[in-house]
Amino acid sequence: MPLYEVNGNAVGFIRILSMAKGGLFMLQNVNRKAGIILFLVAMVYLIFSYQLPSYPYIPVDADFIPKVLGWLLAILSVALFFAKDQDSEEQKKKRQIPKKDAIAILVVMGMVFVYILLLEIIGFVMMTALFIYLTSWFLGYDRHVTNAVVSVLFPVILYGIFNYLLQIHLPSGILPV
Amino acid sequence: MKKFLSLSLFVMLALFLAACGNDDSSGDDTTDGDETSGEWEPEQSIEIVAPAGAGGGWDTTARMAAQVFQEEGIISEDIGVVNKPGGGGAVGWAYIANQEGSNHNLFVSSSPILLVPLSGQSEYGHEDFTPIANVIADYGAFAVNADAPWEDLNELFEDMKEDPSSITVVGTSSPGSMDHIQFVRFAKAAGVDITKIKYVSAPDADGITQILNGSADVYSTGVAEVVEQAKAGNIRVLAVTSEERLDGDTLSDFPTAKEQGIDEVFINWRGFFGPPGMDQAAVDYYEAKFKELSDSDAFAEIRANYGWDEMYMGSEEYKQFLDEEKESLESILEELNLLGE
Amino acid sequence: MDGVLEGIVSGLQVAFSLQGILFVLIGVFIGTFIGMLPGLGPISAIAIMIPLTYGMDPALALVLMAGVYYGAVFGGSTSSILLNAPGISGTVATSFDGYPMAQQGKAGKALAVAAISSFAGGTISVILLMIFAPVLASVAISFGPPAYFALMLLGLTAIASLSEGSTLKALISAVVGFMIVTIGIDPQTGTARFTFGSANLLDGIDFLVIALGLFALAEVGYLIINRKQKGMKNAKEIGSLKLTKEDAKEMGGPISRHSILGFIIGILPGAGATIASFISYITEKRISKKPEEFGKGSVKGLAAPEVSNNAATSGAFVPLLSLGIPGSGTTAVMLGALLVMGIQPGPLLMTDRPEIFWGVIASMYIGNIFLLILNLPLIPYIARVLTIPRPLLISMVIMFSVIGVYSISFNTFDLYLLLAFGVIGFLMRMFAFPAPPFILAFILGGMMEQAFRQSMTISNGSLMIFIENKIALVLIILSLLSFLYPIYQSYRNKKRAAREVG
Repeated sequence: MPLYEVNGNAVGFIRILSMAKGGLFMLQNVNRKAGIILFLVAMVYLIFSYQLPSYPYIPVDADFIPKVLGWLLAILSVALFFAKDQDSEEQKKKRQIPKKDAIAILVVMGMVFVYILLLEIIGFVMMTALFIYLTSWFLGYDRHVTNAVVSVLFPVILYGIFNYLLQIHLPSGILPV
Repeated sequence: MKKFLSLSLFVMLALFLAACGNDDSSGDDTTDGDETSGEWEPEQSIEIVAPAGAGGGWDTTARMAAQVFQEEGIISEDIGVVNKPGGGGAVGWAYIANQEGSNHNLFVSSSPILLVPLSGQSEYGHEDFTPIANVIADYGAFAVNADAPWEDLNELFEDMKEDPSSITVVGTSSPGSMDHIQFVRFAKAAGVDITKIKYVSAPDADGITQILNGSADVYSTGVAEVVEQAKAGNIRVLAVTSEERLDGDTLSDFPTAKEQGIDEVFINWRGFFGPPGMDQAAVDYYEAKFKELSDSDAFAEIRANYGWDEMYMGSEEYKQFLDEEKESLESILEELNLLGE
Repeated sequence: MDGVLEGIVSGLQVAFSLQGILFVLIGVFIGTFIGMLPGLGPISAIAIMIPLTYGMDPALALVLMAGVYYGAVFGGSTSSILLNAPGISGTVATSFDGYPMAQQGKAGKALAVAAISSFAGGTISVILLMIFAPVLASVAISFGPPAYFALMLLGLTAIASLSEGSTLKALISAVVGFMIVTIGIDPQTGTARFTFGSANLLDGIDFLVIALGLFALAEVGYLIINRKQKGMKNAKEIGSLKLTKEDAKEMGGPISRHSILGFIIGILPGAGATIASFISYITEKRISKKPEEFGKGSVKGLAAPEVSNNAATSGAFVPLLSLGIPGSGTTAVMLGALLVMGIQPGPLLMTDRPEIFWGVIASMYIGNIFLLILNLPLIPYIARVLTIPRPLLISMVIMFSVIGVYSISFNTFDLYLLLAFGVIGFLMRMFAFPAPPFILAFILGGMMEQAFRQSMTISNGSLMIFIENKIALVLIILSLLSFLYPIYQSYRNKKRAAREVG
């Protein structure tokens, strides 16, 4: 499987995925980048912590712990920036994600997103059936009959159990029941 | 690349269905809107929202009401209870506010619908909804450990005036919500400087634990939470927040604050509301049904088991009550500087 | 003493009546089922059952609900082990070693270890409950805010030991997890923190959103990469329950230790099965001679949290039944259910209605046996989940995670959060930031902050309160030791290594 080459036009996510490629030199780079990102997270968190309104009737106010955490993360991220990591081969392998797979992950994420977006509008049964069928197909499941049966039966049975036995109402959406 | 067909198919199908879905629901709305006058009857199943998770006070009230409605045959249409937890009710209220004009959506609420918007944490308050009927009430109580030095509320408040830093009040909810405000109201009436009250919030049952092990001094909570401990002699109830003494075995032993000379009352009312713009005919219908529920023996038994009091108010009266209550709460929150934006 | 004996007899009569046995069976069956579904926990299940129990005999109703409760904890391990999707919050720690073991093709063994550990934890703790319940009431209320703070601190000091590889990255994970739990309304002040004006964030982020995101969905990412791998073919081998003599020996230690530890933590109101399982996992790893096996399918690492969460579940009944104080969300709902039936649970329940008190305890004994009988024969079939072709399995895991979150929040906002935490979890794995410290800090951190600030309010800002409180002092000393010992150990090892080189 060919590794993904760094490409200026790539989606940000893929770029992060591919960032990890390479040897020890790159590895330090990864720690540096993670350190910078975490430092920024710490700063944003601290900015909001310092803006928390004060509550005068208590010795330790709501902003105390967040400030401690924010500074702690800032310090740790600086430490990470300079850290020499003892990264195992196994970890390195985890970061080497072929382009095809990275795209597959993004597509499935997109499908989950659409699934959530329309879950309450179209309803649990139809969206779930569509989601299971198409996601499984997309990921390479080619026994269409089994796939169709499973993707219809599962949501219908679950819907029945939740709505009628457990009295937990999953969105019915456009179906009449 | 053929696989991408499935993705585009997924999106297209979904969008198509979404379009159908919208058509459908808009069709429903118009038929609902037509019936604005005369006798109204539900035409489809009714949904009662509990703006909280399963198992809490709102959820219990909603489920119990739904059950009595059905079992006693007061309402023949199906009634489903839906939980919309989050934000101390704010998420549920936002959900209901979106159902403007629907006659088949109700929800249950109590004082948080006044307090949460006051603290700036909910866009919607009771003014945005249609009050239908109040159904029950329960009352607050202030309890201390059985070994505590205070025999009545006045002794406690005297000590608080002298050295406010020596006494810790514990309640379940955060400052600015019920347990806190009910205590503050009585302390204020007794002349305690309410900005000096030491209040600790301990979720779930930690409050009673802290009283029993002496970590905190006063427990501000609902009467039901303290009855059994008082009966067993573990704690002493200094006062209940009701107008008159409550009925019941141990309950009637609890003095009211009023009889101790502190002229203040706190009612934890609980009732049902509809979405904004509910038809008057539907309001009338539900108002009558809740009256029937409130008068039923089945519901009386449930009230007795939970230690709730009967407190029925119809739509108009309820609305007025809520407006007054909100004003009084607002002034206290203002004094404590807890009002939200 | 006569009263107690009579009480036990009346309790046994309830539990061993035909109806009693039937209700236990129904309860544990429903519980197992609910536990297996990710997300849906015993709280919702019991709340929904309340109207149904209306008018039932209270002892039987409680027997039924208790069955649902410990049945769910029992069943919750299944999806943790097979799918890395914790069924309930008490079984997150189960996935640390259960999932790797299942991935090695030993799903049947993992499920069997979990079932036997659960059974042992449940049964031993019930015996402890029977013998000590009357005296334990005082233990349940012995912890004030300073002691809770110290207990959480003790749990957090274990973060370093939860990580493989970089301690620095483990600490970063923990700090970020702690940051996440500060989102929402702060109970001590009512201040909304980091909610950005969204009502959906006021109550904070639900534990399950994080657990399912960081564990189940992050794993889905890797399953997608390896989607071409065939599902496990050899159903017979996967489903095999065979435990070797060594396995049985391995389980002995954790069972004896964590049934007691879990039980005691379960007694403390607010702590519960989740914290018990984490603390047991950490302790077991700490005292293990082979800590490097943990997280890679260690029998001990799987047994410890499973013994502990079930023991804690029995423990949670101590404050409920002996004091009327619900120690957890689930027991709080049960307390509500008792009220519907006209029973006032409180300190007098044990003397006024001994048949309820002892009936529930006795039924738990039967219930645990049922659970074992119910679960063991099913394991070979349940384990076959792993033979499902990868693409289908992936979509099912996603779907179950989505329903799991939806069935507690009924809100798509939480589903987007779930997706976001899935992405975060995936990135964390890619860059070797361990997830367990994140989730541990999320659970313990929130309680620790509150306990700390409650203590400070009570003491008017004096730190002396942590020294004056004896339980707190002991726990703080233990935390210090547990924090310093590994440092000393690595120092000693380095010195020795240096000497050997030199």
